[in-house]
Amino acid sequence: MNRLRKSWDPLIVVPILGVLSAYFFGFTSKQWAVTGEFTRWGGHLMNFVGVDTSKFSYFKLIKFQGTPLDRIDGVMIIGMFIGMFVSALISNNVKFRMPQSKTRVFQALGGGILAGFGARLAMGCNLAAFFTGIPQFSLHAWIFSIFTVLGTYAGTKIIQRPMFQSKIKMKKVHKTTLYSIHDKDHTTRNNWLLVLMAVLILFLFVIEYNKQSLFPLVLVFGLLFGFLLEKGQVCFTSGFRDLWTAGRSNMTVAILLGMVISTVGTFVFIQNGIPATIHWAGLNTVIGGFIFGVGIVIAGGCETGWMYRAMEGQVHYMLVGVGNVLGSILLVLVWDQIAPFLAYNAPEVNLLKVFGPYGGLIVTYIGYGIMALLLWIYVRWYFRNIKKQAPTNITQEA
Amino acid sequence: MAEVENKNTDYTIDYFLNLEGEPCPFPAMTTVNAYNNMKDGEIIEIISDCPQSINNIPEDAKNRNHEVLLIEQNGPTLRYVIRK
Repeated sequence: MNRLRKSWDPLIVVPILGVLSAYFFGFTSKQWAVTGEFTRWGGHLMNFVGVDTSKFSYFKLIKFQGTPLDRIDGVMIIGMFIGMFVSALISNNVKFRMPQSKTRVFQALGGGILAGFGARLAMGCNLAAFFTGIPQFSLHAWIFSIFTVLGTYAGTKIIQRPMFQSKIKMKKVHKTTLYSIHDKDHTTRNNWLLVLMAVLILFLFVIEYNKQSLFPLVLVFGLLFGFLLEKGQVCFTSGFRDLWTAGRSNMTVAILLGMVISTVGTFVFIQNGIPATIHWAGLNTVIGGFIFGVGIVIAGGCETGWMYRAMEGQVHYMLVGVGNVLGSILLVLVWDQIAPFLAYNAPEVNLLKVFGPYGGLIVTYIGYGIMALLLWIYVRWYFRNIKKQAPTNITQEA
Repeated sequence: MAEVENKNTDYTIDYFLNLEGEPCPFPAMTTVNAYNNMKDGEIIEIISDCPQSINNIPEDAKNRNHEVLLIEQNGPTLRYVIRK
């Protein structure tokens, strides 16, 4: 039981997510993805305030129809939110946390809008254009990933500016007692909420079973995805950003390992006839990836990251979610003006067609190898560099 | 949830950093900055209610060859004690 309460090592959790995402593709013929569905939620919001969404071609592109309960992505995401909440309750991580300053509110909304806009411009986020996009052998996912990495570097330069730094300073003390932490005892509340979630899950199973026999299974996948993301505190933003802020690569390695594992599975399903999802390898992907990278770093979390943190009661990330939906609405509004010269003229490149099935597989793994090598070189360089800088820090202090 | 009241340590804590309310990545960034302003062997106690910090703060300490003396994860608020 104690093991269930503590957080789990991303190095184990992310590879499991990789396996599950491949199975999810096998069962549903869809990638594990979230932002497309958030854009549809934007569509519901537009309908609600009286906007006629039928004139925007982007909604046709992402098949905007029905309610979230009628769509695979919708059911999956509802499952994710519940799974995250259940995990946060079991881990005793649920606490209402308000943003501490206006700067953070601005970051959450602004970063969220950028990330939502960029992700949809590029037809995917950290999932569909990276974690589950690269295993689809779509060139656009590689382009997106490269420009997201560059974007996160630029974003890190922004959040390292003094105005964004924490105002909290360490205090000089001299004590042999630990600070007493004033957490309320939430056991009863958490247990009741867990019961409530169990009822909700059962209720959803019944509703979804009556819609389509596949949907209860989709719900299970969503629950597992969500549960594992929170349990492992799997933050894709951290996987990029913290390379620049701290030379930390544990999350990056975990994500890379997850993709290495899921690619084989996805490959087998594609070879057995499930069509791969391939998007435009165009300027939209270049620009979208970069904006997304900047946005997730300013916001402090990408799509999956804000979801589990919002379920933990972090208001900051609820705002990131609002920003994401707003950003995707903005993209929908301008898509018809920009798509003809940013996306529609670009090729949809399937690496399995360009290099042949096994050639495409080999090229993808060579790509992973290059990523791992670059990561290794960078981290070594980073720590050598701070060792050299360390003495100067001490003299500055003196 | 067993609340830790005035638990004694067998070491002397030199610095205290309470990061409650700060979202990712600021707890980790502030902590790394704190190390830069400490002398070798000094001890810092860090409090954070960012659950993600469990993947960050101990890892950053280890990467810098600092010693992780304590990680406490009882409720939403986490405690780390690190010796530089």
